[in-house]
Amino acid sequence: MTATQSLLIVLLAPLFSAVVIALFLRRAGKIASVISVATAGLIFAAAVAAVQAAGGAIVHDSWSWLTFGGFEVSMGFFLDDVSATMMLMVTFVGFLIHLFSLGYMADDSSPARYFGGLSIFMFSMLGIVLADNLIMIFVFWELVGFSSYMLIGHYMTKPAAAAAQKKAFIVNRIGDLGFVVGIAYAYWHFGTTDLEVMGQLVGANPALINASIAALLMCGFIGKSAQFPLHVWLPDAMAGPTPVSALIHAATMVAAGGYFLIRIEYLFPPEVLSIILWLGVFGAVYAGFCAYARRDIKQILAYSTLSQLGYIGAAFGLGYPGIALFHLITHAFFKALLFLGAGSVIHGCHHEQDIFKMGGLWKKMPITALTFLIGILALCGVYGFSGYYSKDAILIAGGLHNSPVAILLTFGALLTAGYMGRLFWVVFFGKANSEAASHAKESPVVMAVPLIILAVLSVAGGWLGYWPDALGETIKADKYELKNIAGYDAMHHKVVLLGTAAWVIGLLGSFFFYGRGAREDRLEKTAGPIYRFLQNRLWFDEVYNFYVTRIQQGFANVLQLVDVILIKGVLVRGSAGIVGLVGMCSRSLHVGNIHGYVYWFLAGLILLWVTAIGILG
Amino acid sequence: MTVGLNAFLIVAGLLFAIGLLGVLIRKNTLVIYMSLELMLNAVNVALVAFSRYNGTMDGNLFVFFIITVAAAEVAVGLAIIVALFRKRQSVMVDNLNALSR
Repeated sequence: MTATQSLLIVLLAPLFSAVVIALFLRRAGKIASVISVATAGLIFAAAVAAVQAAGGAIVHDSWSWLTFGGFEVSMGFFLDDVSATMMLMVTFVGFLIHLFSLGYMADDSSPARYFGGLSIFMFSMLGIVLADNLIMIFVFWELVGFSSYMLIGHYMTKPAAAAAQKKAFIVNRIGDLGFVVGIAYAYWHFGTTDLEVMGQLVGANPALINASIAALLMCGFIGKSAQFPLHVWLPDAMAGPTPVSALIHAATMVAAGGYFLIRIEYLFPPEVLSIILWLGVFGAVYAGFCAYARRDIKQILAYSTLSQLGYIGAAFGLGYPGIALFHLITHAFFKALLFLGAGSVIHGCHHEQDIFKMGGLWKKMPITALTFLIGILALCGVYGFSGYYSKDAILIAGGLHNSPVAILLTFGALLTAGYMGRLFWVVFFGKANSEAASHAKESPVVMAVPLIILAVLSVAGGWLGYWPDALGETIKADKYELKNIAGYDAMHHKVVLLGTAAWVIGLLGSFFFYGRGAREDRLEKTAGPIYRFLQNRLWFDEVYNFYVTRIQQGFANVLQLVDVILIKGVLVRGSAGIVGLVGMCSRSLHVGNIHGYVYWFLAGLILLWVTAIGILG
Repeated sequence: MTVGLNAFLIVAGLLFAIGLLGVLIRKNTLVIYMSLELMLNAVNVALVAFSRYNGTMDGNLFVFFIITVAAAEVAVGLAIIVALFRKRQSVMVDNLNALSR
């Protein structure tokens, strides 16, 4: 099979699966889940086949989709090392999460809807990964938004889930508005939205780089990747099933924003890059603080994801898209692992999500505990684990180009280790703090296997030397570039030292406070004001809420008044009133008595006569 | 002694005025109908008089047409009035105001 054929299978198989499930298998949850998981496996195999068939060469196919006069919208594949790396990560992690879902969703009431949603998500996500032009990316961008909406609201009877799905969708619209304007601007500016052609144009003439286009396209990234100031939807999105959080809100969809930036990195001038850099740095530190005042295991991981997305943004902002991609891939492995681990814990504790109602799970759930620990060590950047290599590279890049960034991100690493330590000690150590936790059992094999595989990848995913040649060229190029900068070795030593210090202090510090397990939060008890300050997350939700309900609603009320008075009152009712008045007058002439009509006839005759003899002119 | 044209025209005008008044004032459809016929015949008188004094046949020709059309009209019109009476048990104009309701 040629690479193109394999790519077609990769893209269309999940769509086919979703359609079959939606049309025929809505009540056959078992069959639907098997089909969905088998499709996920098939697309991973097809993705491997495609990468092998391409053999490191760039595959770029394009088909015309819609033609409007001289404007043509095409659909196509653009497979280079970046998209190949991303595609393999998405299909593989996606497959593992599908597998995990078999166990996690075993007693769910509507598995067909869930697995159909996963399939449509895989279709949408792979569309973004393989797309060869901005318009196609946008189409699939909206489709992942839809799948995310559908899956966040899977537990549709819970009001929180319904609110969260709406919030995620609406907040993303704000970013997408900038995105779609940016696409139009890019088309006007370059005459094409094809990724490869735009790259060649900009490569030939760097003066074509336009800060407005870059800033507008960045809006899409801010929305989808939950960067500050549109980060508010991600923690709420945890209302969805845990595997969904792992797949969409940790490993793939939120990373799609970063991936999109990496695809069009040639469009970005330094000013826009520094905006992305500082948004990322702020997000990384801010989310780290927020995580300390959360009790829900998934919310803590959500803030951790926000923080790591900040690192990805910062890496891109520093001018190293390859390193951003590297952190994106390693983050996908260990964060998917952590979310699935959390899913396993939640499953074991009968859907208890409050970490202070767990405790003592180390002995009851050994596989989950061990793999979770590996995930935490990878996230904290312990030497040898995947997170170390990518985070280290970001810190070195920061140290060499912009030391405040490096200092803040190292501080962010310290925060990360602290809150992950808090999570780990409280959940797995001490005594069981609730009835559910004391009866916890290890999860079934179908859930344990993905955990183990992801744990292996969380360790080995960072060993770039072992990656296949076709993958990660951009990553290796950026790493190589970084190594050739003067002062690399000194900075490397410094970063290793400080990074190690950060996780050691973070984990030990949290062990000091929470190591014996805890029934309630010691921070909340001993330093209430600080805890409540962190719990309020700088009041972003409240400020946005105030803006929407007061300012925006007030403006809408004024507009409504104008609408009611001017359009509805004067234009619509007014014109109807005039017509009605004319009708009323002419109706009064209509007496129904034949003599009346004779008089009117006479009057008309006289009028005609008067006109004819010229009295009226 | 010959009668002048004006005398004929005065008679025709009086007949027309009587017919018009009848149409305007009377309430019985049948009488209104008769008044209409009176107006037609007033016109006939005038036309015949014009024809006689001009020495041409144009007016007489018109009169024949009018008599023919009036005969046909009477046939249809009386039939309508009979049908109306069967339906409403009345031919008084005051009772025939269904259009205004």
